[in-house]
Amino acid sequence: MSSKKRSGFRVVCRCEEVTEDEVRAVIRNGYHSLEEIKRILRTGMGHCGGRGCLKVIARLIEEETGIPIALQKFPSSRPPLKPIPLGQLGSYRNEQEER
Amino acid sequence: MSKKSADAIVIGGGIIGAATGYYLAKRGLKVFILERKFPCAGSTGRCIGGIRAQFTHDLTIRVMLKSIKMFQELHEELGTDVEWYAGGYLFLAFDEARKKSFEQAIEIQRRYGLKVDFISADDCGRIVPGLNREGLLGGAWCPTDGQANPFKVTYGYLEGVKRLNGQVFVNADVKKINLSGTRVVSVETANGDEFFSPIVLNAAGPWASEIGKLAGIEIPVKPDRHEALVTEAIERCLEPMLVDYRADGCYFVQHYGTGHFIGCYTPVPIVPGDSVDASDEFITEMPRRMVRLLPKLASVKVLRHWAGSYEMSPDGNPICGKTPVEGFYVSAGMSGHGFMFGPALGELMAELITTGESSIDLSEFRLDREWSKAEAMK
Repeated sequence: MSSKKRSGFRVVCRCEEVTEDEVRAVIRNGYHSLEEIKRILRTGMGHCGGRGCLKVIARLIEEETGIPIALQKFPSSRPPLKPIPLGQLGSYRNEQEER
Repeated sequence: MSKKSADAIVIGGGIIGAATGYYLAKRGLKVFILERKFPCAGSTGRCIGGIRAQFTHDLTIRVMLKSIKMFQELHEELGTDVEWYAGGYLFLAFDEARKKSFEQAIEIQRRYGLKVDFISADDCGRIVPGLNREGLLGGAWCPTDGQANPFKVTYGYLEGVKRLNGQVFVNADVKKINLSGTRVVSVETANGDEFFSPIVLNAAGPWASEIGKLAGIEIPVKPDRHEALVTEAIERCLEPMLVDYRADGCYFVQHYGTGHFIGCYTPVPIVPGDSVDASDEFITEMPRRMVRLLPKLASVKVLRHWAGSYEMSPDGNPICGKTPVEGFYVSAGMSGHGFMFGPALGELMAELITTGESSIDLSEFRLDREWSKAEAMK
């Protein structure tokens, strides 16, 4: 099979296991923004917070719709930048109170 | 710039606009939904997805019994899995006054056939394995309450609107509402498009007051800021939504579809305004409260933290119905419960708009009511 035919199986969001085909289908259904695709496919909602997938998806939007990446609005980055255990975050509070 | 006509225009692409638009379209109307940014950009996309009938206002209980029935059938209705799951709601009581208020609420709720009980602390522990029962007197437990995915529900309704000959416009920021005498005629957006319709529904959530003013109508909805967080997905270990009403309490649930924990708390005092900036206080305080209730969560990692608006009415109940401007309706002021009210209020408002009355009388939620009957289980 040629690489082109197989390209749609490429995983573009590893955290939520979303393939290129799925993203293209959503764009073709009329959803032309990263924010909408995030809400439909959960791309950017996993462990990496979108660092791995959003640029790839922005490029797919550009390919499908002609909207340049530079004109696309990227979803807000949400704290914490890396996953942190609840217990660790909560004990920060307790330590502050003890002081 | 373009001019387009519809049978009904809905301002707002959150759950209220999407659901009402869908049921209007189902009744044969050509519906336009005008969304300022994109669907779920406002409150709906920031809510945690809880669904319950445990309220104290009679009409709210009746609306929620209808909504829960609709959530059960929504997969079939919309052709999309909305991740409805009846995991129940457990409201915890840590003092006698709270216990008493729950017992009073249960008395009202049972009149409408709700299966709800005040259960012992030990029974709370059986429903929530690992629950910290220190100081716990018991809880109000309703197993038929549950959860669903706000994105799936809202986008499911919007896809339904499109199938039923309607259109959804994104980046459609309504800036003007045109009247002829006392009748609504058209709305105009920031990019110069004009949409004509004899029916316009204000479903703008936290911005319902601003949209009302465009038609010369005062709608007393004020947003205040709430924050939420979500953790990584883990194996299922919590069934119900757990609600701790203490001043330093919180509420959270494990998402049925994915296994994430998602939760929030109501800040004391409230933070007025539509800011959705996330605070340092919440990201440390919320984990402390969650781990205090359910110590086994200590090792579960937080993925994201964000904020959204509750759109409060003066009495904490929705504002639904007609306005002094003919053809201009409002469905807003959901006061933190818009997602769960969505299906029922959507269908009831569609009935009201098309026939002049609804199968559950919504007049207690009318705009010109006395704001005296406050909801106790906010």
